[in-house]
Amino acid sequence: MPGVMDRADPCRFSERGRGVIKAMASYVRIVDTVNYRIGRVMMWGLFVMMGILLWSSISKTFFVPSHWTLEMAQFAMVTYYIMGGPYSIQLGSNVRMDLFYHNWSPHRKAWFDAFTVLLLIFYLGVLFYGGLGSTAYSLGYWGDEPVSYFFGLLTGSEEIGRLERSSTAWRPYIWPVKTIMVFGFFLMLLQAISEFFKDIARINGQEIGVVRA
Amino acid sequence: MSQEYIAIFMFALMMLMLFTGQRVFGAIGAVATIAALALWGTGGQDITFSAAMKLMKWYPLLTLPMFIFMGYVLSESRLADDLYKMFHVWMGPINGGLAIGTIGLMVLVSAMNGLSVAGMAIGATIALPELLRRGYDKTMVTGVIQAGSSLGILVPPSVVLVLYAMIARQPVGQLWLAGIIPGLLMAAMFILYIWIRCRIQPELGPAMEDAHEVPRAEKIRLLGAGALPLIIFAAMMVPFVNGWTSLVESSAIGALTALAVSVIKRRMTWKIFEDCTKQTLAISCMFMWIILAALGFGAVFDGLGAVKAIDNLFTDQLGLSPWMILILMQLSFIVMGTFLDDTAMLVIVAPLYVPLVGELGFDLIWYGVLYTITTQIAYMTPPFGYNLFLMRAMAPPEITLRDIYGSIFPFVAVMVLALTIIMVFPEIALWLPGYVYGN
Amino acid sequence: QNTITWRMQTYAGPALAEHVIDPAIKMFNQIAGDRMQIELFYADQLVPTGELFRAMQKGTIDAVQSDDDSMASPTEVTVFGGYFPFASRYSLDVPVLFNQWGLNEIWDEEYSKVGVKHISAGAWDPCHFATKDPINSLADMKGKRIFTFPTAGRFLSQFGVVPVTLPWEDIEVAVQTGELDGIAWSGITEDYTVGWADVTNYFLTNNVSGAWAGHFFANMDRWNELPEDLQTLFKVCCDQSHYYRQWWYWGGEANLRVNGTKMQLTSIPDEEWVTVEEAAVKFWDEVAAESETKAKVVDIFKRYNAEMLKAGRPYRYT
Ligand code: NA
Ligand code: NA
Repeated sequence: MPGVMDRADPCRFSERGRGVIKAMASYVRIVDTVNYRIGRVMMWGLFVMMGILLWSSISKTFFVPSHWTLEMAQFAMVTYYIMGGPYSIQLGSNVRMDLFYHNWSPHRKAWFDAFTVLLLIFYLGVLFYGGLGSTAYSLGYWGDEPVSYFFGLLTGSEEIGRLERSSTAWRPYIWPVKTIMVFGFFLMLLQAISEFFKDIARINGQEIGVVRA
Repeated sequence: MSQEYIAIFMFALMMLMLFTGQRVFGAIGAVATIAALALWGTGGQDITFSAAMKLMKWYPLLTLPMFIFMGYVLSESRLADDLYKMFHVWMGPINGGLAIGTIGLMVLVSAMNGLSVAGMAIGATIALPELLRRGYDKTMVTGVIQAGSSLGILVPPSVVLVLYAMIARQPVGQLWLAGIIPGLLMAAMFILYIWIRCRIQPELGPAMEDAHEVPRAEKIRLLGAGALPLIIFAAMMVPFVNGWTSLVESSAIGALTALAVSVIKRRMTWKIFEDCTKQTLAISCMFMWIILAALGFGAVFDGLGAVKAIDNLFTDQLGLSPWMILILMQLSFIVMGTFLDDTAMLVIVAPLYVPLVGELGFDLIWYGVLYTITTQIAYMTPPFGYNLFLMRAMAPPEITLRDIYGSIFPFVAVMVLALTIIMVFPEIALWLPGYVYGN
Repeated sequence: QNTITWRMQTYAGPALAEHVIDPAIKMFNQIAGDRMQIELFYADQLVPTGELFRAMQKGTIDAVQSDDDSMASPTEVTVFGGYFPFASRYSLDVPVLFNQWGLNEIWDEEYSKVGVKHISAGAWDPCHFATKDPINSLADMKGKRIFTFPTAGRFLSQFGVVPVTLPWEDIEVAVQTGELDGIAWSGITEDYTVGWADVTNYFLTNNVSGAWAGHFFANMDRWNELPEDLQTLFKVCCDQSHYYRQWWYWGGEANLRVNGTKMQLTSIPDEEWVTVEEAAVKFWDEVAAESETKAKVVDIFKRYNAEMLKAGRPYRYT
């Protein structure tokens, strides 16, 4: 793609083009840093899960079994992998099928990624929207417009209704875990957009984003 | 759109996205979303999220980060070094002995972690350089490590069998026990092959000359290293099989035991600890996000009737006998193994096949073992295989892709033979779980 | 003319569904032919049971077979679905309560409020313990992790039972892997049908409820779109499903208690079991105090059971 390669020289960008790249770079820096920090905290969630499961076996052996442990461990697991997801993208651990991809030049990879990552963004967007609806339901809203409901909560025109509870004997409220999920999907969405910006920059011969271990 | 076309459309779209290199979970999730919005009708936009709730309820997934962490502790803290030394001095003096010892090492490593990657990493970093230095044929040793590491998911604990158990709704305990004898059988067949091959061509695996210099007392002391995997394996499996702790609790105990052993043996540093924790997050997230996307995909695929189309194709339209269908399925796994990642294959394809296998009257515990071996063959067979690429990433530069391709054929032949034996004699897999659980 | 297609999910797994729902849906599809087809999905197949209500309300799924308790309906009557402790003695009590004593009207009103059509209620089997270790006294219940309905679990926890909720399809495995010590979810027919009898050893003959109450529901818009004759056909097929269960469970319970070989029967003596029955009365009053609707339902249960007691044998023997 020679036409594209020509434009790789940053001096040839227009004033506006440079501005766009710069804006993308700041977005990438902020999002990547936030997700990195969250991920670095989330990785220790492994030991939270271990602790809960260990307490579960101790309480079962020596006292009366606790009926909250399994569900609590499930909540911890969900938090761990959804909130840790963006960091795992930064670490490049999400496998791709490298049948052809493996042999491509970084430039060609960036071109394909720039298109297919839009589909990823689409998936995450729908996931996020579904989560919003389900979270609104867990707060007692049964309509079809979660966004306006949450907006209404802020302005005071909507209120919190019947809170959804898990149908177990422990009966925890469900909104906290759903809120965490929605927040995690949102972070993931931001990270995917960050990846998209990196691809766009790469197509233009630029590397943006901090490289971390 | 008819159900057949929906099935074809969804698979084709997914393949397109996979081939163009998008992350596997993104490809699967996007196809699920597109199909749900386009074809489901009312409420289709909520299915991918309800998959996240389904995943939350799949509590055996809690074992996943635990077993992954165990594998990392094992390979990063080099706990297996002593084990390797033990095989080294004991097996070194015979032709091909170090290769045979490596298979032994792999069996023990398999008993301490749930994936094949840890075995591959340990084999490639500890055994491979030493084998090459000792003049072993590089094609032979590459094959040994790939074949040996495949035992990781057959010998318990096994992440793949946990995932299979959830899909097939079969007891994990029985599946794990079912994997033991076939795993040992396969290991024995690998050893037999190496031994015979090195008798015919001693230059492939020269005997170690200097092994006799190791004092007898030292040799005995090294045997103690063998206790390590036994301790970790027992700490996890004994309470589990006896029902004192549940599956997920046992996995946490196993992970903690591995950690404790590495600390006691002074192999754990803060740096390694942090690294293992980070890698565990990375790999767990990879698995979980694929499963999340695949559960959504499965629900959409099923709800649109595509599952029924596949059922019809196998049972009615092709008019095959149950055994023919089973063999056809195994072959299709091998084909799919060339381009699908193992988790994706498990979470997308297994839910289509497994109920059908049950309906055909086959035992689903037995099939779990067949399934595991088949997928391992799929990842090892050229031109494309997950294990092949891993091996290339980990092996020293003098080993080319051609060497790696060439190395696996005899071992794949052994695995196919093992697979056939287990198909013909299901008791090899079913005897142990039947004996322990008594039914 | 286009065929109307519905997706319906039951809370039962495939082995159980073969009896309790498959025949009814097959019949419906056969009669409705090209006009309408219902595709049936089993427990957790499309959406997890906990999300079932929401999925139906939004139209992701068109119809559902479940009790109110398992699918966590956001209604005032949810607590009475499944096994409400000691509310019924026999499976015939349930249709009588709904059709003759006014529960249908209450349910209809409650579900209409949340955009869901309540089609009809029916009875399933009684609620017994199936456990790995025997239960011969109330003390034996202490500390046992039991898979049971949410409300039954809430009630039983005062006797030391630790109620656990897991996906229905995972129960057999969970008993084997030690996550569970037993099950209080069904009668002996179901224990044998779904394979739980293979993983447990003992069956407690005392039950905390004589019959499960469960329903057929549909998304309100989908229901209203149906022509009247298809609505009627659907109702008839639901009733057929209720009827099938009446004889299947009634005969099955007696037969397997007498002739079953996989489980050993144990009993808690009547003198001791009275404690549980008395606790149930207190539990009813607690529930009744929660809201007006609940008080109305509890009142119906009380009056109904008093009347049955007065009617004497064969309605009540004690
Ligand atoms: Na293993
Ligand atoms: Na392959």
